Amino acid sequence: MSPAWLAPQACSVLGAAHGRQGKPCQDASLSTELVGPDGQTLQLLAVADGHGSSRSWLSQRGSALACAEAQAAVADALSRTPLSDERAWRQLLREGLAAAVHRRWRAAISADWPQHSPDPAAALEPVAYGCTLGVLLLAPRWWGCTGLGDWDLVAVDRGGGAQLLSQEQGIGGLGGGEATASLCLPQGETLWAQRAQLQPLSSQGQLQALVLTTDGVRKSCASDADFLALCSQVIQLEEPQQLRRGLEQITRDGSGDDVSLAMALRAGPGSNPRPRGRRATLALAGAALALAGGLVAAQRLLQRPTAPAPDPVLLQQQTLCADPTRIRANLTPRRAQLQQLRRDPAAAAALLAAPQRDPLGALLARSQRGTLTACPALRQQLATLWRETGGKMPAVEVRADERPPAGDRPAAPGSR
Amino acid sequence: MPFPNVRLSNRPLHFIYLCDCSGSMAAQGKMQALNQAIRQSLPGMAEVAGNNPEARVLVRAVRFADRAEWHLQEPTPVQQLHWRDLEAGGITAMGDALELLAGVLQSPPMEERALPPVLVLISDGQPTDDFDAGLATLMRQPWAQKAVRLAIALGHDADLEVLQQFIGPEPPGGGRSPRRPLQASNATSLAQYIQWASTAVVGAASMPASQVQGAAAGNIPLPDLPPTVLDPTDDVGPLVW
Repeated sequence: MSPAWLAPQACSVLGAAHGRQGKPCQDASLSTELVGPDGQTLQLLAVADGHGSSRSWLSQRGSALACAEAQAAVADALSRTPLSDERAWRQLLREGLAAAVHRRWRAAISADWPQHSPDPAAALEPVAYGCTLGVLLLAPRWWGCTGLGDWDLVAVDRGGGAQLLSQEQGIGGLGGGEATASLCLPQGETLWAQRAQLQPLSSQGQLQALVLTTDGVRKSCASDADFLALCSQVIQLEEPQQLRRGLEQITRDGSGDDVSLAMALRAGPGSNPRPRGRRATLALAGAALALAGGLVAAQRLLQRPTAPAPDPVLLQQQTLCADPTRIRANLTPRRAQLQQLRRDPAAAAALLAAPQRDPLGALLARSQRGTLTACPALRQQLATLWRETGGKMPAVEVRADERPPAGDRPAAPGSR
Repeated sequence: MPFPNVRLSNRPLHFIYLCDCSGSMAAQGKMQALNQAIRQSLPGMAEVAGNNPEARVLVRAVRFADRAEWHLQEPTPVQQLHWRDLEAGGITAMGDALELLAGVLQSPPMEERALPPVLVLISDGQPTDDFDAGLATLMRQPWAQKAVRLAIALGHDADLEVLQQFIGPEPPGGGRSPRRPLQASNATSLAQYIQWASTAVVGAASMPASQVQGAAAGNIPLPDLPPTVLDPTDDVGPLVW
């Protein structure tokens, strides 16, 4: 695995409505690691969403084939293109991969068609396999995305903020459309360029994670703010089973559509992933393919700090206080968590014992114990959150050794 | 840690009747038949909504005569809907009705995650105002463009051309299609069309499959018309309108 990226995983879950209707999961997802000739690793995440209409009656096969052919196309590109050549990869994301995936996918469905068509001699109907495809490449020094259709890509920063980086414009997605671009479109190959981007990691110091989803996830959330909050929190899940159960809840309480989510964390300062042997030849390593709702057996590397890590709660505070406009957006989704903390003190203890897992949760726990010192804007918003949950934030107990230097304190009356 | 605690929500499905309440609707029991057809369709509509919990079916109604106004303004969950009778009298301000409709198909008030709405225009006559202007205003709204637009013509005096303009381009070839005005010639066929729109169409719109961009079939594939209403010449009941 690239040392720049940790804990990649992908999961697809059958939609609640599809389950009732006896339909298969028409989503597919993929998380795999590719190794180039120079030994550098490239993490590949992909999600595909079969259209599922009566015309797209083989779309569950179409989405699975899309992920498989995307993997083959990227592996082929990696065998010929060093990851250090960002210009070449930028061009691949805009055009080269589009051409390769469309060509491969078309060949794959052509081979598949006679086995499933009622009339094997009938001409291939690409729309029967119609699906979207979102591809995310995670290299040691950059990340890039491409594809077509109504998938969404979100970046989560180290302060917990989330930002939508890529969405389908104009036809599907929000605004009422169920129409989307598709691999089955004759002009589909030309649509990839508008979703393609490559970003050097050197310019993204605050990037903590990338989350790639099919449209069912976003459409299940009450608002975009909820969708972004979900993305910022989901990256803290540690077990693949937690992600699967969560996605089941999302489709059950939300859109009822199939849902897929793929994500990876960027290695933080001081993290030291377990060293791995490197192979000189192109290889697929640690591949885990989740097709038709199957769970990706995601490989998770342990972070082993080489130096004492900074207090994650303090880092969280500093990030929020540096940009107070984000405080409310980050705290509001935590209302339910604060209510839980107030009901169950043991939950606070768990958060405080491992603050790196959920710094914002640990921050709430500290506010409960009166041990949190923060900037006025953060204190004020925390107090509001406490009031909204029917309580009052405990006063801060400032110990003598926590007091700021005398020069930073207002002078006591009569001291000058 | 527990799974993220965020607000999940099913998707609202707005179903809006546009009902002609001109004076001619009082003749031959058309108004009474329309009220009865809508009222009788509600249990079936509620059942379909119950079977599709991922959609929240909300009903509204516009009446138009001398002018257009909301008959049922608040988006009302179908399970809570008690239909209040429409009354006939006046002319046919259909263009005004489309203008009124356009006002609620903006975002906001339309929810960003709403399903494509279902719009059902029911008329027995010809517009007496500027229909083209009203339609143009309506169709400037993206939600109107993405809506399922159906039209029911009551009797032989209905203006099929304007109803077709409301629905959209006429499908190629001949024959009956839900993308042409549905022609109800008596109370029975009207009730069947209303039932079809409020159950089969609502069911299809509640859990739409993704559509390939540019698909000719429209945003939501419409279910087939029931066999008994495929052809007005085979219609059940006497030809009374």
